[in-house]
Amino acid sequence: MSFRKKLLLLFALTVLACVAVISISVYSTIRRSFEQADQDRANAVAAQFRSEFQRRGSDVARKVESVAASEAVQRIALDMNRGGADASEYVGEARSLAGQQRLDFLELVDTHGTILSSAQWQAKFGYPEAAIPQTTIPQATIPQATTPEAAASDARSPTATVTAGPFLKREELPDGATLGLFAVRVARVGEQPLYVIGGERLDQAFLSTLDIPAGSRVMLYQNLDAKWNPKSLLDLNGPAAGADQIAPLVAKVRDTGQESQSVIHWTADPADAEVFHAIPLSGRNATGPRAAGSEPDASSANQQPLGVLLVGTSRRPLIELQRRVISTAMLVGGAGILAAVLASLWFAARVSRPVVSLAEAARRVAAGDLDARVEVESTDELGELAASFNRMTEDLTEQKDRTVQAERVAAWRELARRLAHELKNPLFPLQVTVENLMRAKEKSPEMFEEVFREGTATLLEEISNLKTIIGRFSEFSRMPQPQRHPTQVNDVVCSVLRVFLAQLQAKNEILVRTELADRLPEISADSDLLHRALQNLVLNAIDAMPQGGELTIRTLSLGDRVELSVSDTGSGLTHEECGRLFTPYYTTKQHGTGLGLAIVQSVVSDHGGKISVESTKEQGTTFRMELPCDFSAHSASLR
Amino acid sequence: MRPIAYLLLAATSLLGAVAAETRPHYGGTLRVMLQSAPSALDLPANATPAEYWDLSRTLSLIGNTLVSIDAQGRPQPALAVAWQSDASATHWQFTLRRGVKFHDGSAASPAAIARILGALHSGWNVRPVADSITIESAPPLPSLLAELALPRNLLLKRNANGAPVGTGPFLVAEWQPSQFLKLAANEESWEGRPFVDAVEIEFGKTLRDQAIALELGKTDVIEEVPQTTNGSQPRSTASVSLPTELLALVLSVNSRANDPRLREALALAINRKPIQSVLLKGAGEPAASILPNWMTGFSVVFSAQANPQEARILLADSHQPAPNLTYDLSYDPRDPQAQLIAERIALNAREVGITVQVSLSGAEDIRLVRVVLPSPDPATSLSEAVRQLGLPRAAFSATAGGDTLEDLYQTERSLLEAHAVIPLFHLPVTTAEGARVRDWSPERRGQRSASRLSLADFWLSDLRSTASRADLPAQAGSR
Repeated sequence: MSFRKKLLLLFALTVLACVAVISISVYSTIRRSFEQADQDRANAVAAQFRSEFQRRGSDVARKVESVAASEAVQRIALDMNRGGADASEYVGEARSLAGQQRLDFLELVDTHGTILSSAQWQAKFGYPEAAIPQTTIPQATIPQATTPEAAASDARSPTATVTAGPFLKREELPDGATLGLFAVRVARVGEQPLYVIGGERLDQAFLSTLDIPAGSRVMLYQNLDAKWNPKSLLDLNGPAAGADQIAPLVAKVRDTGQESQSVIHWTADPADAEVFHAIPLSGRNATGPRAAGSEPDASSANQQPLGVLLVGTSRRPLIELQRRVISTAMLVGGAGILAAVLASLWFAARVSRPVVSLAEAARRVAAGDLDARVEVESTDELGELAASFNRMTEDLTEQKDRTVQAERVAAWRELARRLAHELKNPLFPLQVTVENLMRAKEKSPEMFEEVFREGTATLLEEISNLKTIIGRFSEFSRMPQPQRHPTQVNDVVCSVLRVFLAQLQAKNEILVRTELADRLPEISADSDLLHRALQNLVLNAIDAMPQGGELTIRTLSLGDRVELSVSDTGSGLTHEECGRLFTPYYTTKQHGTGLGLAIVQSVVSDHGGKISVESTKEQGTTFRMELPCDFSAHSASLR
Repeated sequence: MRPIAYLLLAATSLLGAVAAETRPHYGGTLRVMLQSAPSALDLPANATPAEYWDLSRTLSLIGNTLVSIDAQGRPQPALAVAWQSDASATHWQFTLRRGVKFHDGSAASPAAIARILGALHSGWNVRPVADSITIESAPPLPSLLAELALPRNLLLKRNANGAPVGTGPFLVAEWQPSQFLKLAANEESWEGRPFVDAVEIEFGKTLRDQAIALELGKTDVIEEVPQTTNGSQPRSTASVSLPTELLALVLSVNSRANDPRLREALALAINRKPIQSVLLKGAGEPAASILPNWMTGFSVVFSAQANPQEARILLADSHQPAPNLTYDLSYDPRDPQAQLIAERIALNAREVGITVQVSLSGAEDIRLVRVVLPSPDPATSLSEAVRQLGLPRAAFSATAGGDTLEDLYQTERSLLEAHAVIPLFHLPVTTAEGARVRDWSPERRGQRSASRLSLADFWLSDLRSTASRADLPAQAGSR
C-alpha cells in the first residue's frame, strides 16, 4: 500500500472514529434520557394508580360506612347482640345492600369472624372471613370506647387495625378468584361488633379510570393462581393479548416482590417493542393489613404480591429518534469521510510528493542512474531529506567517476602488466637467440649456419607465439554479437566433444562422462558462440587435470531455462580465485591469457544467461551456465 | 262427601255462634297461582317436581283414582269401594262405586274404567266383570294399590278438545295452555259439591310474583311460603306437608367423578345443617337415604353427618382423571333454591380439596336434582325415585316386588353404596294460602300431612273480596 493510500486511510479512519464517538455519545445520552423519562412516566402512573387506589378506596370506605350505618345492618347487629340472629334471614341481605351501594363485594361478618351474609357468594355464610383475623375479635367484655382516651386506645386496638384504610384483597368467587379493593367498617350496636366488608373489583374497569399518558398503557396481573395464568393479565379491554411474553417479567416480580422492568419485543421491528415497568401490589394477608403499593415488611416478605401493575411505554419514539441520530451520524460521517478523503488527497499529495520523488529517484539510482535528482520544495524534514538525497547521488556520481577512472587505470595497468608479461616471455628467447647468432657469427663462423638455423627456428616460433598472443587479445576485443537460431544444447555438447575426442583419447587419464537430458528444449542461441564458450570450459577442465580425472558434462531442463554444467575432478580453486576467475586477463595457468573465462562470461551474458562456479579444493570445479529458452524475451526484459 | 258435609253443617249450626266463624261457606272463586306452565293437561313422565305437583294437584281436582293411600300408607276406597287379589298378586278384582258419572254425563262404568286403565298400562289385562274390573298381569303386582293411587293413574277421558274429563269435584270450564285454567264445581260429584264455585289457576307465575300477589290479595293460594316482613302481621298461612321430595346429587355413569372414593369424599364433605337452617330456612330434613324416615323408619341408619377429615383421607387415596380437575355441578335453573344450594355444596367440596364449579353448561359431572316421592308407600316411592334419578333399575329390580322393610333397606343400601346418588334433604311441599282461605280437611288441621292439599276442601271466608280473573259473578250460597 502506498504512502498516500495509508495517509488517506488514516485520515478516513480518524474522521470515522470521531463521528462514531460523537454518535455513540449522543445515542447514549438520548437513551439515558428516554430511560429516565420512561422511569418517570412509570412512576407517575404508579403514583396515579396509588392515588386512584386511595380515592377509590375512600369511595369504597364511604359506601361501606353507609352500609354499616344502614337500618338493615343496625338491625342485624342488634339481633346479633340480642343473641337472636338467624342467618337464614340475612342470606340475601348483603346482596341487596351491595346493589343499593353499587358495591361488587359486600359481606356481613359477625364478631367471631364468621360470614353472616355474602353478596358475592351467597352460599358462603358460616365460613370464616380471612380479612377479619381471629386476633382482632374483641372479647365480649371489652366495652365500647366512649372517652377520648378510650377512643385512642380503641384506635390502637385490633378492631381499629381491621378498619384501617382500603386494602387489596383476593376474593374467592364461585367461578374463581378475583382481586378487589376493600374496606372494613364496624357496626356497633352493642358489645359485639358487626363487621361490614365491602369492595369493588380491581379489573379492567378500574384501569380505565387511570389517566394514562400518550404512548403508554397499563395492565394489571391478578396474581391469583399458583402458576402463571395468562387470563389473569388484564388491560383496558379484558384479558390482554400476548400475555405469555410478559410472563417472565411478572414471574420475576412474583418471585422477588420487587419492582422490575423489561423490554418486550412484540415483533421483529424494535420500534414495536415496549418497556414494561412491573410494580408489585401487596395487600391484606393472613397476618394483617398492609397498604397497597407499600414496601413489603419482614413478616410478609415470603408472600407473593396480590397483583402486578404493568406500565408499558412504547419504544417507538426512542427507536425513531435513535434511527434519526444514526442516519444523521451516517450522513455526517459519510460527508466527513468524503471531505476527509478530498482533504487527505490534497494533503497526502502535498506530503507524499517529495517522498514519491525520492522513491522514484532512489529507483533510478538503484537502476544505475546516478544523475537522478529530487526537487527540493520545502525546508522541512522532507526538504532536508531531498537535499540529502541529492547530495548523496552527487557523491555517488563523483565516487563512481573516481572508481571508473581508477578501474580504467587499473585495467590499463593490468593490461600493460599482462602485455608486458606476455610479450616479455617470447622476447627473452628472441633476445637470447639473436645474441647467440651474434656470438656464433663472431666466435664460431663454422657453426653459424647451424646456429643460424636453430636460431631462426626459435625466432619464428617465438614470433608465432607473439602473434598468437596478439591474436587472442584481438579476438577478445572483437567478440561478435550472437546470431540467434533455435539451438539444441545437447548438439553443441556433442560437437565440442568431437573436437576434443582425439586429444582426450590420447590422454587416457581423463574419463569423459556426459549426462544429457532427454527432450531438452531448444534455445534461441548462437551455436558457434556456445560452441566456443563450451570449448573454453572443456579446455580449462582438461588443463585442470594434468594427472587425469573425470570430465562430466550435464544438461538439464529448468522449465524456461536450460542448464549446462562442466565438472572436473582437478585440484580445484580457492574462494578468492573463484571471485576473480571471470576477470579479464586473470589466469591461474602457467601460460594462460586470462581471457578464456572472460569470453565464456561474455557469451553467456550476451545470451541473457548467467554463469556460476563452484569449486572445492582438491576435489574439483563445476561451471554452470543457465541459458533462457526464449532469449529475445529475456533480452527484452533486461532492456 | 256431600252427605258428610251436610251433617257437619247441621252439627255446626247446632253449636251456634261459638263455631260460627269456622262454618264453611259455599261459593266464591278460589284463585291459585302456580309456577309451572303446562302446555297440556296431562302428567308427563319426565315432569319436574314442581310440574308434577302442580299438574297432579290440578288433575286430582278433575279426576279420581281407583284407590287412594292415606298418611299411614294404607289404601282407602276411591272409585273402587272394595278389592281383592290372589296369593300371587297377579290377579286383582276391584268393585267399583255405583252411580258415578263423568263430567260429560256418561257413566263411569266398569267398561269405561277398564278401557282407561288398559290404555294407561298395556302390560295389564284389564277387563270389566259385572260391577267390577279385573286386572291381570304376568309379573306379580304386590304394590298395585299404591300404584293405582298415583296421579298418573287418574281415570280421565279426553273430550274433543283434548281437555280431561273425569269424575272429580271440578270440571274444566276454560283452558288456555300454559296460562290459565278455570275449573267449575261439579254439581254431580260423588264426593259432594266442593265449597267454592270455581277454581282459577294461573300458570307460569314466578314465586316472587306469587308472593306479591298473595300479599296484595290478588290470589288465594301460592306454592311457596312468603317471607314475612319483620313486625308486620302475616297475611297468609302456610301448609307444609311431610317430606315428599328428595334433593340429591346424582353422579352419572359418564361423570368424570367416577372414583368411588372421590364420590364418598364428596358425600362426606357436604355439611347439610347450614344448608337446611339457612338456605332451606329450616325446612326439610338432612337426608342420607332416598326414602324419608317417616316413610320407612330406617333412614336414621344412614348418617348424614359431614366428616371433612375423613373426606380428605378418602380423596388422597382416590384416583382422579387429572390433577386439579374441576367437576361441573349442574342444577335445575327453574328451582329457585338450587343455585345457592349448589354453590354451598361446591364450597364444601372445595374445603376438602375437590374443585367443583357450579355450571349450567358444563360437563354435568354432578347434578343437583329434586325428585318426587309420590306415594306414602315406600316401595312405590323408591321405585319412582330410582326412575327419576336415572339410577340403574337392575339394582332395584333385584329386590323389586319385596314389600318388607328388610327388602327396602337392602335395596336402598345397595343403591347408596355405589355413591351414584348422594341424598341431601327430604323436603316438604309448602303452600301458602290467603287469609280468607279455609281448609275443611280435618286431617290437616294443625299437623303436617303426607297427602297433598286438596283444593276441593277449601272454602272462602270472605266472598266479598273475591275478584275473579274472568269477572265471573260470585255464586256464594248457590247451593
